[in-house]
This record gives sequence, C-alpha cells and structure tokens, in this order.
Amino acid sequence: MERSIVHMDLDTFFVSVERLQNSKLTGRPVIIGGASDRGVVASCSYEARRFGVHSAMPMKMARALCSEAVIVRGDMDSYSRYSKLVTEIIAEKAPVYEKASIDEHYLDISGMDRFFGCMQWTGELRERIIRETGLPISFGLSVNKTVSKIATGEAKPNGGIEVPHPTVPGFLSPLSIRKIPMIGNKTYHLLRSMGISSIGTLRMIPAEMMEGLLGKNGTVIWKKANGIDPTPVMQYSERKSIGAERTFDRDTMDVNGLKDLLVSMVEKLTFQLRKEEKLTSCITVKIRYSNFDTHTLQQRIGYTSFDHVLIPAAKELFDRIYQRRMLIRLIGVRFSGLIRGVQQLNLFEDTSEMVRLYLTMDTLRKRFGSGAVRRASGIQLRELEEKASHEDKESEEDAAARRQQVDNLKNRRWGYWR
Amino acid sequence: MKFVVSSMELLSHLQAVSRVISNKNTLPILDNFLFSLEDGVLEITASDLESTLITTLDLENTDGSGEIAIPARILTDTLKEFSELPLTFEIDTNSMMVVIQSESGKFTIMGQNGSEFPQVPQIKDDQRQELEIDGEVLLSGIAKTIFATADDELRPVMNGVFIELSSDDTTFVASDAHKLVRYKRTDVTSESEAAFILPKKPASLLKNILPKEENMVKLEFDDRNAAFTLTHYKMVCRLVEGNYPSYNSVIPTDNPFKMTIDRVEFYNALRRVSVFSNQASNLVKLALTGNQLTVSAQDIDFSISGTERLNCQYEGDDMEIGFKSTFLIEILANLTTSDVVVEMSDPTRAGILLPATSEDENEDILMLLMPMMINA
Repeated sequence: MERSIVHMDLDTFFVSVERLQNSKLTGRPVIIGGASDRGVVASCSYEARRFGVHSAMPMKMARALCSEAVIVRGDMDSYSRYSKLVTEIIAEKAPVYEKASIDEHYLDISGMDRFFGCMQWTGELRERIIRETGLPISFGLSVNKTVSKIATGEAKPNGGIEVPHPTVPGFLSPLSIRKIPMIGNKTYHLLRSMGISSIGTLRMIPAEMMEGLLGKNGTVIWKKANGIDPTPVMQYSERKSIGAERTFDRDTMDVNGLKDLLVSMVEKLTFQLRKEEKLTSCITVKIRYSNFDTHTLQQRIGYTSFDHVLIPAAKELFDRIYQRRMLIRLIGVRFSGLIRGVQQLNLFEDTSEMVRLYLTMDTLRKRFGSGAVRRASGIQLRELEEKASHEDKESEEDAAARRQQVDNLKNRRWGYWR
Repeated sequence: MKFVVSSMELLSHLQAVSRVISNKNTLPILDNFLFSLEDGVLEITASDLESTLITTLDLENTDGSGEIAIPARILTDTLKEFSELPLTFEIDTNSMMVVIQSESGKFTIMGQNGSEFPQVPQIKDDQRQELEIDGEVLLSGIAKTIFATADDELRPVMNGVFIELSSDDTTFVASDAHKLVRYKRTDVTSESEAAFILPKKPASLLKNILPKEENMVKLEFDDRNAAFTLTHYKMVCRLVEGNYPSYNSVIPTDNPFKMTIDRVEFYNALRRVSVFSNQASNLVKLALTGNQLTVSAQDIDFSISGTERLNCQYEGDDMEIGFKSTFLIEILANLTTSDVVVEMSDPTRAGILLPATSEDENEDILMLLMPMMINA
C-alpha cells in the first residue's frame, strides 16, 4: 500500500525560540553556541547563513565570517519546552508520529487522503503549530521518510511541499547527492570524485557497484536515491546508550584533572541511569588528542548503575587508552547496552549504608538538581575553572556542559541508535 | 578377557557414569569408558579429569582379567536398543578388538589401550580426613543448596557447595552473592574441623547417584581432592581451591520485621505476578501493611502490570522491598514446609526465608535473598 509520510522540521529552531523571547533578534543574524572560541555553532539564523555560517562550524570561524552576528548562549530548557509544545499539538492530531530529534517529527498519515486530502490536513496542522507556538515550521509530504525529509529541505524556509508517488524520481533526480541524509562529507567527496553529483546520476549506478564501493551502506544509499525507504514511523524508540563528552577550552594533559572530570561525568550519567531505572552493561571511554586522533576503548561489565563500579572502570579504561604523551582536546564517556531495571544488590559487596547513601543522594539530586551533591573531586574542578574564567558570571563548566548539551541534543539523531 | 552381563544392568551403570563425560574433552581418551575386570568384578570408569566416576558390577560368568577403553557413545547407543538379555563381551587386549555377542547378533568395536586412561587421583595419606555420612543427609545437603551456586568464572570459589565440618555439626553453603543457602545438620559431626568446596558438576553428579544409595557414604578428602565411596559407585573429584567468603558475617542477625505466609500461595502468586515484571530485571515489589502483603510488578516498555494481595501474619513497620522474582521463586520452591517466615529489617538489607516449622530437628535451613534497589 502506498504510504503518506510527513516530515516536519522547525526552521532554525533555537533561533526561532530566542526570537520569541527577544523580538530585537528578529531580522538580525543570530548564532546560537558557546561563547568560547572552541565551541561550535548549534544553530544560526538564515541571515547568518548568508555569511557562510552553518551549524557545527567552530565559533571562532563563525565570528570571523559574520562579525555583526548576535551570539546567544542558548537555553536548553526553554528549547525543550517549546519542542514539547509542538509535539503535543502533533500528538493530538496525528495517528502515528515519531519524534526524531528536538526539532523534527515524522508523521504517518497513510489513508488520511480518503477523508481530507493529506496536503490539506498537513497544511492545516502546520498553520495550527505556527498559530499556537509562534514558531516557523516546514514540512515535506511524500511516500517515505527519506523523500519526505529531502522534500522538507526543499520546502524551507517556512513552507510545505508535496511529492506524490509518480513524481518522486523527477523530484529527486536534479537534486545534489548531498541532500540524501546518509551522505556525509567523505561519501560525498568519494562520489563526487567519480563524477556523480546529482541523485539522478547516482540512480543509474548499478546497485552492486554501490555495494562494492561502500559496503552495505552503499545499497541503502542507492535505495534512498531511488526513493525506496521502507523504515516505519515508530512512535517510541528505546534509547540504547547515554553519554557525555567535553571539549576543553585549552588542550590539557593534566591526568588527575582529566580523571576528576571523568568521575564527575560518570557521576552525572549514573544518576541519570538510576533515575530512569536503567542498567548499563558496557562502558566506553573516548579521547581525542590535539591532532584530532580519536581513540575509544570499551569494556563489558555486569549490569550496573553504581558509581563505585563504573568510576574505577572509567578510570582504568582512561589509563589504558591514554598512551601518547600528547595534549588532549576532548574526553568522553558513554554507557551502552542499556536495559530497564534496578540494581540487584550483592551480598558481599553492597552494604546497606552504601545503598542508603545512593538513595539519599539521588533524592537530593531529584529535588535540588543533578549537581546538588557530588564527589569532592568534581568540586575542586569547578573551583579551578571558576578561577580561570572570573569575568564570566556563569562558571565555565556550566557553560561547557550546556554547550555540550546543545551538541548532544543536536546529535541525538546520530548518537542514539534505535 | 571375557564376561557375560545383563544388557539393562550394564546400561544403567553406564548411563550413571557417562554424565561425567564432557562434550569438549581435551584428551580423546576421555570419550571412552575404562573397563577393567578382576576376580569377577567389572569396574567401569569415566572421567573429565576434574571428576571421575567409578562403578562396579559383580559378575558371575567371567574369564580372565585386564583393562580396555571402549568408546562411550557407541556403547551406550547400542545398549539402548537392546531389551533385557545377556550379552557376552569378548575382548582381545592385544588387538584391542571388542566383540559383543547377543543371542542373534554380533557387534565389534575397536577399543584403546586402557593404560592410556588417566590415573584416578589418590587422597594423600598425610592429609587425609575421613568421615561417614548418611547418604540421605548428603543428598539433601546438596539438593537444597546447589541451586544457589554461581556461574562466575572470575570467582571460582562461588561455583560450588561449601561443606564445613565441625564437632557440632555439618554445614552446606552455596551462594552467588545475590542469594545464599545455609543448610546445617546437627546429626553429622566430624572429630576435627575441616572444610572444602565441592564444585557444581560433581555435586550434581552426586545428586544423581545418591537417591539409590541406602548405606552410609564414606567421604575422604585432602586439600586437593575428595572421594565419595558408595556401595556401587565411587566418585573422586578435584576441589575448588581458595577461601570461601565469610558468609556468616553477611547474614543479618537483627531482623525485627517478621512475615509468616503460606508458602504455596506466596509461590503461586509470585509466579503469576512475575509474568508482568520486566523480563530483564524481573523486579517484583512486596508491600507490607498490617497483615496484608501486596505483590506487584510492571513492565513499562509493554504497559503491563500485575498486582495480587495475600494475607499473612506480619509483625513490623509498613515497608516496601523489591526482589528478583526468579530468585524468590527458586528459593520458595526449594523449601518444603507449608508456611515460611520472611525476616527483614529494611529495603536495603537482605531478607531471610526460613521454614515456619521444623520438619526434622537435626536440620537447620536458612535461605537469604538480597533485595533490588528500589526508590522508596
């Protein structure tokens, strides 16, 4: 059966939210991202894009390109709030929807054409979202997720287009292969070097050759180029991993400081695990040297959500992975192999006092925020950083954490496998 | 050598000892039974290097003596297809040819030199400790505890039943760090204090051969090996080396809250409710208020939940505690009394399950289960 899939994407979502809160920003180039040189652009307005700024670009470069841009640090809480508002409206109207990221939704409205006509229904939904939230939103309506997403890209800013089934090849063919969601920089350059620049050309490549060239992904890309994408719209998908990482303002090789940071990251993540009643079975530590060489190392462990198991594991992995005497630019930790569940206590290792300490600390954190109680090593770190950036009211760590949060949320669609 | 044996009798002995043969042997000879005949007694040995099982058959019609290793699989597979009838084994120890003759058939198997079969380890005389133990007591000691043993390659000491002998009593302990069983017998004592860890495999082998035993079992052991001698069987096994964790210190002694409940009702309710628990964690919550126990479980991923209320006698403050249902069910299945007592102190400490009434005054059984961490 032919499906009708809608992809809705909020235009420059972070910027739009900032503009709702501060109308002075309207019409001016706006960049959302950390204030320091090492941060990256989380989002930018169309006015800023005219200067060549794009998201994921280093802040330093963005500022150089567009000196008059207003730089906003970004407030994740209000973004989540507005995102939720949009989701609520969609949930009320749509039969099946999937929240793909903070500013994207997929809707499966197959069969709706018998009642209203899909285009009319979607247009009305879009107008309602704009009316009720004040946020500009674009959509693409087509036969599957990939084509709809590409269509949304064409509909932007603030519009909506329909690509009916018979016109899918005609719609895709003239577009650049960059528009296919799976094609990143490397694949793009590889295909370009072979003289493939439009999706139409890509479609003429035999599928077997694509597989030989890019492995399994090649087949998937080829299918997408042909407008074939059977992935269903899934209301809910379980997160498979959680993680945190941090890029330093200045590269460092202070091993103790790095470990302290690792500890505080693990601490935050384990609290999140316990709050969501989840257990992890695999821990991964990641470091990036100043020359951008990135290394990861992982270890399988018994299902746990305890700090006293995961912190030593993270430290040990760090010791094993940090082999070269070179400055470190980024450090991160990730828990995967998540299952829902609570900790089964161990007769010989887990004392009642310790378990009650965890419970009490978690209660405090739930009430006063995840930073309410923390290990002393983390506090030292915080003080050091406060000293380092005294001109900044907000401590550098918070800013970095927030920046990271922005990155994480933006990265969610890649970072979290389903 | 030559002997005549009843097919069924031989098969039952072979099947008992063949349990020891491992599927992934390092030595090919271990895929064989060692047959040795001497003075009218046929001795059959099977081994996996760690444990060795020996069984003896008294035969009337024998000729000569000697030993030979016969492939285990082919022999048991053939014997399974025979009804009760006498079989004549004719073995040429020079050519290693085994000829089995029935009334109407003839089967030949190639054996191997019996001297290649590994020697059964001997109990060292200078460290030998000896003890006579009632087969039934040994059986219940193993049967009651073996389910609680661990499968943890990192901590081999937990993968066995800890048997502790003293002048007052004998204690069997097994634990996987989540649950623990302590089974004490006051009617079995030893002159000197001693203890050893019996690995899981030989323990389960014993569990299989002990029910047929009516006499006393002779137990000999040193620091490396233990030997159990029954009427028709003998098992020699390597013991787990290392120290067993000090289990007594982790059994909470001060448990002010006591719940007495019908075991079967509790067991059945748990079986039903646990269907609705999360399949990965199997968490069930027990909530106690007044004389009522509420058993509940839910699986948020599938939006299913189950709750059941049970009557019980409860002395203590209202509390809620979480357990892994599979463990709790296992424990209740291994108790036999009609009522059980659950002793607790708080949701972060172990719960202790005891039989409400004692069936045998020489028996003292304690089962312990660590809770799961639930947010109060």
